[in-house]
Amino acid sequence: MIPSHLARRRLLVLVLACGVLGLAVLTEQVRAPDRRDVGWLGTAIEGALAPVVGIVARAGDLVGEGWALLHEIGTLRAENARLAAEVAQLKEENARLRPAAEEASRLRSLLALKQSEPFASVAARVIGRDPSHWFSSLLVDRGTRDGVRRNDPVVTSEGLVGRVIEVGGSWSRVLLIVDPRSAVSVVVVRSRETGVAEGLGRPLLRVTYLSRDASIQPGDLVETSGLGQIYPRGVPVGTVVGVSRPPGDLFQEAVVRPAVDLGHLDDVLILLRPSPGEPAR
Amino acid sequence: MRRVALYALLAVGAVVLDTTWLPRVSLGGATADVVLVLVMTIGFLHGPEVGALVGTGMGLLQDLVTGVPLGLGMLAGLCVGTGAGLVRGSIYLESLWLPAPAAWVLTVVHQVVWIGAAHLVGLLTAPVATLARVVVLGACYNGAVAVPVFHGLRRLDDRMAHHSTGARPA
Repeated sequence: MIPSHLARRRLLVLVLACGVLGLAVLTEQVRAPDRRDVGWLGTAIEGALAPVVGIVARAGDLVGEGWALLHEIGTLRAENARLAAEVAQLKEENARLRPAAEEASRLRSLLALKQSEPFASVAARVIGRDPSHWFSSLLVDRGTRDGVRRNDPVVTSEGLVGRVIEVGGSWSRVLLIVDPRSAVSVVVVRSRETGVAEGLGRPLLRVTYLSRDASIQPGDLVETSGLGQIYPRGVPVGTVVGVSRPPGDLFQEAVVRPAVDLGHLDDVLILLRPSPGEPAR
Repeated sequence: MRRVALYALLAVGAVVLDTTWLPRVSLGGATADVVLVLVMTIGFLHGPEVGALVGTGMGLLQDLVTGVPLGLGMLAGLCVGTGAGLVRGSIYLESLWLPAPAAWVLTVVHQVVWIGAAHLVGLLTAPVATLARVVVLGACYNGAVAVPVFHGLRRLDDRMAHHSTGARPA
């Protein structure tokens, strides 16, 4: 039997050792350039768990789909009436917007000719999420075997999702743009003012370093500027919902709602960036 | 040895659950944290030293798999495991509802350490109202999850102990 004072001392040493280790790992992470580098051991553990996570996520999808089906049956009648009204309204809108759509289509074709970003892409399925409320990353089922590399941009048809921060053989971790560790060079479409969109740890972004004199209003669209070597230019990031000009500050800030519903992502597109000197993939 | 293997398996299962199913059923931004409940249970059953080691280890595993900055889960898990182990002598483990308030308190401790550490190193700034809402809702959620997890694991642990000594479980 160990005397109680020795047991207490042993516990104290153990707790201090674990605490110091935790703090050391945390501060090392914060000092790293992109604040996330788990090393070979971390990559190996994540790689081993990724298939399990994938299987459980798929099982979860099945349960979720079954539940959604039951829920859908219950709300079908109300939904039907609402949809009928919506169809009538959309038909009318459609007739009104057709000329504008034709013009936009022509302009888009012209723009596509001008765009020369040599990106190939690979579709990926979300298999895991970070459960904490404050940081935002996803696990997807594509990795180095599919040509994915660290820092490849991730998008959906609505806009920018984030970038790959860790890659294994058949999985990758995507840092979402709303994560506090994320920073994206952006441009406000109307005023062509550039800034840096930083994650706030909740479903909003803060765009900083906007010139104090620039005209920025709620409703303005924000897209990637193409600066910074990671994200291609012209990918929608979100819409301005608020602007603040702190007194005495050289810059103004805008709060932006992301274009993509990052809380409900199932499938994403990973843009495969060509390495320097490599022809377009 | 069998008990260690069982706990390792449970830890992996809890982390996988935490990253796949549980985020789908979040409550006001808060999700249940089975890993925390597992660490609490192990601390209650095996004391502060085992609680501290398991809490740190499972926190690290959780950090690795969930993609949050490494170290946050380690520190928070260490506090939960040690805290649960330290109070085990002064609580009545047989009580049916004990795990609920215990998980509530330990979740608050976990979140305060986790958020505090993230805030200290400049990784997290969030409005106090949002912090309070997520912490309180998460604590309630974990309190509800803790009752079946604690009693199930305690029974399993008893069985493993009796199996290894050859005695019949009570």
